[in-house]
Amino acid sequence: MSKLLSYVLTLVLLLLLAAPAAAQRGSPVTAGANITDGCAESDDPTVDYFPHEATVMYAEGFQISYYNNYKVILVNEPFADAGFRYEYVLVQCGTTLPEVIEGTQTIGYQVIEVPIQSIVTLSATFLPNLETIGELDALVANDEFDFVYSEAVRARIDAGEMVEVGFPSGIDNELVLDLNPDLIMLNAFSQADLDPLNLLRDEGIPYAANIDYLETSPLGRAEWVKFTAAFFNREEEANTFFTEVEGAYNQLTALTADAEARPTVMVNGLFGDSWFVAGGQSYVARLIADAGGDYLWADDESTGGVPLDFESVLERAADADIWINPNFWFTLADGLTEDERYAEFAPFASGQVYNNNARVTPMGGNDYYEGAVANPHLLLADLIAIFQPSLLPDHALFYYQQLPAE
Amino acid sequence: MNRTERLPTVSAAVNMHTGELHNALRRDEAAWRLRFMLLIVLLIVLFLVALVLGSVNIPLDQIVRVLLGGEAERASWTSIIMQVRLPRALTALLAGAALGAAGLLMQTFFRNPLASPDVLGVNSGASLGVALVVLSTGVVGTSLLAGIGLAGDLGLAAAASIGAGLTMLLVLFVARRVRGSTTLLIIGLMIGQLTFAVVSLLLYFSIPERIQAYINWGFGSFGGVTWSQLPILALAVTAGVVLSVALIKPLNALLLGEAYAESMGVGLRRARTGIILSTALLTGAVTAFCGPIAFIGIAVPHLCRGLFRTADHRALLPAALLMGALVAQAAGILAQAPGTDIALPLNAVLSLIGAPVVLFVILRGQ
Repeated sequence: MSKLLSYVLTLVLLLLLAAPAAAQRGSPVTAGANITDGCAESDDPTVDYFPHEATVMYAEGFQISYYNNYKVILVNEPFADAGFRYEYVLVQCGTTLPEVIEGTQTIGYQVIEVPIQSIVTLSATFLPNLETIGELDALVANDEFDFVYSEAVRARIDAGEMVEVGFPSGIDNELVLDLNPDLIMLNAFSQADLDPLNLLRDEGIPYAANIDYLETSPLGRAEWVKFTAAFFNREEEANTFFTEVEGAYNQLTALTADAEARPTVMVNGLFGDSWFVAGGQSYVARLIADAGGDYLWADDESTGGVPLDFESVLERAADADIWINPNFWFTLADGLTEDERYAEFAPFASGQVYNNNARVTPMGGNDYYEGAVANPHLLLADLIAIFQPSLLPDHALFYYQQLPAE
Repeated sequence: MNRTERLPTVSAAVNMHTGELHNALRRDEAAWRLRFMLLIVLLIVLFLVALVLGSVNIPLDQIVRVLLGGEAERASWTSIIMQVRLPRALTALLAGAALGAAGLLMQTFFRNPLASPDVLGVNSGASLGVALVVLSTGVVGTSLLAGIGLAGDLGLAAAASIGAGLTMLLVLFVARRVRGSTTLLIIGLMIGQLTFAVVSLLLYFSIPERIQAYINWGFGSFGGVTWSQLPILALAVTAGVVLSVALIKPLNALLLGEAYAESMGVGLRRARTGIILSTALLTGAVTAFCGPIAFIGIAVPHLCRGLFRTADHRALLPAALLMGALVAQAAGILAQAPGTDIALPLNAVLSLIGAPVVLFVILRGQ
């Protein structure tokens, strides 16, 4: 107890000593960079508290507009075809929100003080973004530990620094209320995911509906790092990272632009009686095209999965050159165990079958759904090495692996 | 229990004016009173237990302080008790009582010990409402709901209520036109089949995350009802219970068959409408807010008959209300898996623990 007391006293003393020094520096504190830790020391309506702003170029699901002491984030819809939008007013902690807020279009916006200090994530795709912007320490809970791939996050879990709260439609309200985080971020897929969170919102724990999964362009999906960063005032870090990713991705795409011989590509496998192939306008279709592949369902109009039966897939893909993402196989033998008719496809005989499970944990975490979302250039490099090996002769597959026979 | 043993009890319940039997009933009532007291005490105990146990450990004195209107040491504890545990315990109470009563009404109405509150198809209607909102890609669900002016941030409970309400109107409409209760049973079954077909189609074309959410709803839960929704649930359940209390006499008469009941001067048509309306209200409201919970409706009437050893609805109805609430509260507590931070599906807990108990009670009664 006395130890604690002396610790507190020392802290108070240090703060007292530091305060005049900070006051002498005055308002310029806010001029140089965003405040990423704590509140603004002055509440001055003429000061621009967000010198580092994020501009959204590829993502279609959200926009951010900046004002002196607040920013407005507009999310087109909290889940696919929701039919309504979500708005967030992020106000710099320590400043007062003006009476008239520009940039909002509905009255139902949520006001959130930034920078937030703690976050609960309900999808693994946000984890790499937290690492990128240097805010992994703010992560206090996530939905399911089993699905986490990130080593840094696993270390936090093992150290007992995180709580497992369950997926959105079955979230443990008690645990979240007890943690009292500044924000919950989730991928919502239907109203069922939002209902339980509305109770928490009413108790002062806001949630941000992230729809990165609806983006059909790989860069658009990766750009959601700016969305996460905005809540932490970490736009600078997000911009730096994304610019690198963007540069690398576009450079790789340029490589394949003139590729003449494009191998035909088939995807996925049977699920019950249905073979869900990626829609012609989907994320996967876009990656295949950018990597110099000829996707067999490129003529399809949809952005999601398309359920087909075995015969129609066989009809179109029997002579395919390359097969990617076949269910959960690690070997071709896994495929035969599932259904021996898979051998009818040409890639099966030629061994040109590749799956996205090179980086998985025994529990079921897969970096393809985590790190690859934030690093589409690495994913694209893999696919180029598979479709156009002559363009990247030295590339070693990272997220993908060629499936051995046994 | 064979038929010759049961018949006197049944007719005892019906021929209430016979002096000799009147005395027998007096004796019964004394025995009933004791059992009612036992149920009430257990119910209060479990209600309190439900407030004490949860995934977060809160000291007992803090819980008492919050319940007496104070603030806990930590603000989050106050929220947990007032916003999570109390509504959940109250919901379990209401839902259990409603389903127990609805199950009893259905078993008597159809004179079938297998009948449960979902035989009318009201559950299925609620499921369809939820499936449309959760599973459809928006094209069907959103435009349908926009058509009735409900698009927007529409909660699952609202969608389920609309589904249950529309089915209830359909069943009432049909019930006025058909004679036998068996026909009604078949109609309820067919409504269920039709809904199942539509839901299957929606499931087939849906994405895994939405399917997961729909399945999750199907597990049942008392935890999703907020303070703003609780009065609606309470109102519907109270209306259903009041209506069913008014039906006690015709219910007793119905035990001996519709023809007999009619000869006793029971207005069969009105009784039928009353029973259907009451059951639909009780089941519809519970399904809308808690998901499809079938087991309480089937099991609780059997437990009550086993405990009270009577077919008289003057005892069975209040018993079913209490026993239903009791079973629901107990299952709710077990589903929270006290001492761990995992939660089990409510329906699984109900059936896993409930089925052997019901089997035991029935076999012992043989």
